[in-house]
Amino acid sequence: MLYKIADLFAEIPETGGLASRCRDYLYTENVQPNIVIKEELYNPSKYSPMISANNLAYMESGRQFCAHLLEYSGFYLHSSAVALNGEAYLFSANSGVGKSTHTRLWQSVFGEEAKVFNDDKPALRLIDDIWYAYGTPWCGKDGININMRVPIRAICFLKRAEENKIRKLNQAEAIQRILPQTIYRFKKIDHLDLLFGHLEKLLRVIPIYELENKPEPEAALLSYRTMSGKDQI
Amino acid sequence: MKIKLKDGFVLRQIADTWVVMAIGETMMDFNGMITLNETGMFLWKAVGEGEELSALVSSLMMEYNVAKEQAEADVKEFCDKLVEIGCAEYIA
Repeated sequence: MLYKIADLFAEIPETGGLASRCRDYLYTENVQPNIVIKEELYNPSKYSPMISANNLAYMESGRQFCAHLLEYSGFYLHSSAVALNGEAYLFSANSGVGKSTHTRLWQSVFGEEAKVFNDDKPALRLIDDIWYAYGTPWCGKDGININMRVPIRAICFLKRAEENKIRKLNQAEAIQRILPQTIYRFKKIDHLDLLFGHLEKLLRVIPIYELENKPEPEAALLSYRTMSGKDQI
Repeated sequence: MKIKLKDGFVLRQIADTWVVMAIGETMMDFNGMITLNETGMFLWKAVGEGEELSALVSSLMMEYNVAKEQAEADVKEFCDKLVEIGCAEYIA
């Protein structure tokens, strides 16, 4: 089946539950795909032998998509992405630190205006000098995604702490935090060079922050105010 | 004593920051990456195929015009770090 994901045409096998995961991205016209996901390249040896067929299809199709994404001025960032006032804010961290918790706080503080459009691996692409984040079917266990693209306002790395505090990261700090949250285990050196080229361009224009926080509404207000530069929505 | 870099690591630049990353088979064992400042990048390149620690100290003293004690401390810290994270080894 053919889908349009992150403004790319992708052919994706229907098996392993992918047809239902991807249905909001279905593309019915006849075009040449940019990306072809191949079931025969799924590699179960990288996972626990207990992995379900659906989970394997989800993980491996995502891996293939993200590898191809590098060839189209893009990469993914392990983060929960929320859109507010037409701008995207990406909250990234290791699993369990509270990415989704933080974007849920935005929703409870700002109401329906705040939309989580990818809860795990938004695609980021540079198109006509603008960095966009995209909803994609690879969005985490809760399946939260919206087929939309939103210009990125800022990226924020989360840390648990007793006190809420936010600061802008310098370039070296930003790189140290971004790399472990994207594809950075490369077999091919040209993929690494593609990613580094994209990151260099991203860091020129997108501010990167670190938020130390407790999971409480004040943390959401602090991150919104600092990154948007506005007092209220 | 000498220090030698292991295979499978590449040094790359993003804007003003230098990053060492593992590629190929190496990436399976190496669970991280390192960013280097200018001195670190200079030393990484100097270590290359293998270098005496004393030679690294001399290079650092010449390049950055630092005192011997400082250069020795910097070289030791840098080399210990590389060995600790697994991208270099000491050889006799």
